[in-house]
Amino acid sequence: MYRLQIAPRLRSLAVVVALSGSLGIALGVTGAVSAATKAGHFPVTVRLANGVVTIPARPTRIISLSPTATEDLFAVGAGHQVIAVDNDSTYPRSAPVSALSGYTPNIEAIAHYNPDLVVVSGNEGGVIAALAKLHIPVAEEPATTTISGAYGEIASLGALTGNSAAAQRLISTMRARIAAVVAAVPVATRHLSYYVELDQTYYSATSATFLGQIFSLFGLHNIADAASGAATGYPQLSSEYIVAKNPRLIFLADTLCCGQSVTTVRSRAGWSTMSAVAKGNVIGLNDDIASRWGPRIVVLAQQIERALLHLSQQG
Amino acid sequence: MWVRSARERGVPSSCQPWQLLVGVLFLVGVMTLAALIGPADLPLGGVISTLLEKLPLLHVHSTLSVTDQQVVWQIRMPRIVLGALVGAMLAVAGATYQGVFQNPLADPYLLGVAAGAGLGATLAIELFPRTTSWPVSPVPLAAFAGGLVAAIVTFLLGRSGGRYRATATLVLAGVAVAAFFTAVQTFAQQRNTQNLQQTYAWILGGLTTASWQQVEIVAPYVVISAGVLVAYRRVLDVMSVGDEEADSLGIRAHRVRLVTVIFATLGTAAAVSMSGLIGFVGIIIPHTLRLVVGSSYRRILPLSVLFGAAFLVLADLLARTIAAPAEIPLGVITAFFGAPFFLMVLRRAGGSR
Amino acid sequence: MSVRVRDLTVSLSGRVVTEAVTTGIDRGGWLGIIGPNGAGKSTILRAIVGTIPYAGVVEIEGRGDIHHDRRESARMIAYVPQRPELPPMMRVCDYVMLGRTPHLSLFATEGPRDLQVVEEVLCRLELAHLRDRTLSEISGGEAQRAVLGRALVQEASVLVLDEPTTGLDLGHQEQVLELTDELRHERGLTVICAMHDLTVAGQFCDRLTLIDRGRVVVEGAVAEVLTPDRIRKHFGAAVEVVDDGVGGIIVVPRRRPRQR
Repeated sequence: MYRLQIAPRLRSLAVVVALSGSLGIALGVTGAVSAATKAGHFPVTVRLANGVVTIPARPTRIISLSPTATEDLFAVGAGHQVIAVDNDSTYPRSAPVSALSGYTPNIEAIAHYNPDLVVVSGNEGGVIAALAKLHIPVAEEPATTTISGAYGEIASLGALTGNSAAAQRLISTMRARIAAVVAAVPVATRHLSYYVELDQTYYSATSATFLGQIFSLFGLHNIADAASGAATGYPQLSSEYIVAKNPRLIFLADTLCCGQSVTTVRSRAGWSTMSAVAKGNVIGLNDDIASRWGPRIVVLAQQIERALLHLSQQG
Repeated sequence: MWVRSARERGVPSSCQPWQLLVGVLFLVGVMTLAALIGPADLPLGGVISTLLEKLPLLHVHSTLSVTDQQVVWQIRMPRIVLGALVGAMLAVAGATYQGVFQNPLADPYLLGVAAGAGLGATLAIELFPRTTSWPVSPVPLAAFAGGLVAAIVTFLLGRSGGRYRATATLVLAGVAVAAFFTAVQTFAQQRNTQNLQQTYAWILGGLTTASWQQVEIVAPYVVISAGVLVAYRRVLDVMSVGDEEADSLGIRAHRVRLVTVIFATLGTAAAVSMSGLIGFVGIIIPHTLRLVVGSSYRRILPLSVLFGAAFLVLADLLARTIAAPAEIPLGVITAFFGAPFFLMVLRRAGGSR
Repeated sequence: MSVRVRDLTVSLSGRVVTEAVTTGIDRGGWLGIIGPNGAGKSTILRAIVGTIPYAGVVEIEGRGDIHHDRRESARMIAYVPQRPELPPMMRVCDYVMLGRTPHLSLFATEGPRDLQVVEEVLCRLELAHLRDRTLSEISGGEAQRAVLGRALVQEASVLVLDEPTTGLDLGHQEQVLELTDELRHERGLTVICAMHDLTVAGQFCDRLTLIDRGRVVVEGAVAEVLTPDRIRKHFGAAVEVVDDGVGGIIVVPRRRPRQR
């Protein structure tokens, strides 16, 4: 067997672990910008997951091998400094998608771009050490499990690219919008149960995951939490458990990967009698948004808000 | 040993009625147990009344809520029945491959069937990732086709090695074909990392999404294939003296091998197309039976059907209950509990000689 | 049943192994096929049994088409290979029962008549007490009797044996051959047997066919075939041929006088 558990939102990590045996564990808080550094003044020194990184001058040839980092870079206004992004960086559309892979990075292909900063989400294939040998600065912005960690990565990418002020403005806006969305939800809809689906074989995410934390902002109760001891935060649930728990809301984070929709959920054996299915409280999410920890978590929060408002109107 | 009791001394090793009865009772017992237990924690009486309600002529009404009835009848039962079908097929196919190739390690993986099915599933996931509106998912169909193609390629390559070394050549051809198909599959996966999750879920195997529809698709293949293979049980014993001696006894060994391999592969491909790749069943069940009831395929084949089915239902019961409400991949369970059990039987059989 | 072989040519992997072999034996006779190692003795037997493709004619009782139907052929000719495959876990009675295969249709199981035939053969060959042993649990001589038993329950009238005494000690060699000869007389069997021991061949056979490099050198009665000259020429051995006085021939190796 390849591995015991799949962590679907960390599918890149898990798969690379399975394929190459190299394990990149994301630990610690990233983006502690050194106090001595002012925005826009180089050289800049930032403490990241891969240690202290010093950038001598404002980078203009950035490569991002992380879809989340790509979104962060463009959101803080560093988009024009980016020359290439990996083949899974699907957003924003203006990002210069290349054939580079974030899972099986090819050092030679990366070096060929002559980059002055490479952003990765993990040390797949020993990419960090390999780039260090070529004296190419690397910023590791790993998958985070907290919302503040996501803000930290935006801040650090702002500092590394000379866009600190824009990054701080972005973070403030995001905080404000999320707070507004949460406040708009009626108290009555809090503590309702929900199930968030990562693929059609019922892999889910518990409240301990980054995705689960967004739902926790609204006080919702995650039915996957009962299985939290069994898995890494991404347990595979039994169909009969989900049906028996009868969650009030079903969120599908597998609309793009696996083609799931309200229709497919209704056609599943035994699911049509569930209250969420019968009352139309099955919400399709964009898998990419639900699996990244970038600026579009605001969009995700807004989708949850709309679902809760819709449900509260049903009485 | 209880197997060679006094009353069957000197009788040829045909399958004894009491052995079949033990197998049937065990299977029914395991399936009943599996129907009663699950993460939804339903009352026993309710589950029983729900099942009895489905039987004709009985006027029993379920005491469960509509949702709980759905859990029992739409989720639990198809899962149990699909598990039984897949387990029976993998075990009887494993026994057949071991018989016709005279290779104790032969199982559905040997001929590249599993690798071919894996490639088929991967390509289907890559090419048609959003085809859930189709009446039948393309993934099992492609897995089925891939498994068959791999078996055919293996057979064509293996046959060219000359008549008398055909068995060894075939096994080597199977290894090569499996390696090639696995390489292509890995390449296809790497090209489109977006769909890795789906592919891996399928490769890990499991019955989490079993439905009556899947049962209806798989059942004819399994019933026909297993039926044909069991009908060949006496002939497989003849095959154990080698091709030339079997020929001299009036059996066309190559034709028998071709026909049985086709049916074993057909059934296996159908089974793994729904369940994903579940290892070990095709090795453990026939070998365990061999140690308990002797080496005759007259016993091993029919009993493989019964005990293979029971084993996989039991393994799946564990997969969905040990860490409930989380699931454990079925392939992990079959290997984890199957291997030590096998070793235990091996030791006991060795000690009693 | 009489067996006639005419112009038998066998090519294996593109190499001609036997060429234009013609020989035969009447009903109830014992034909010995002799010749040095690699002469093609086993190949001729396999062609007669019909397990390898050949050019030429193999006739059983005047019929040349018996190999078209494998089951029918197996009801006429029983075969004991030189190194039979003995599945170690198989019980003796199950192994002997395999010989009933040509009398059963593909998916049938044995009936009372089949069990009776097996029972009689097990008793005749003194295997009855071993019937529940597995093949790995019995001696070489017992195993050879089991193989013979399997051939006998085929109830074929032609018995083809490929060096049936290979690997047996002197006593068991004699036992197996005497048993074969007794059965031949009891059941009117025609025996075709490849043999490497010329004395044994000279004592048991009615007729001999000497093969060398895939061709028949000479075919005829024992005394005509076994001459010191031929044995020196085709086996490269110096021997003396002695009449045993009761119709058989003894071939004694004799060292060449030393050249001083």
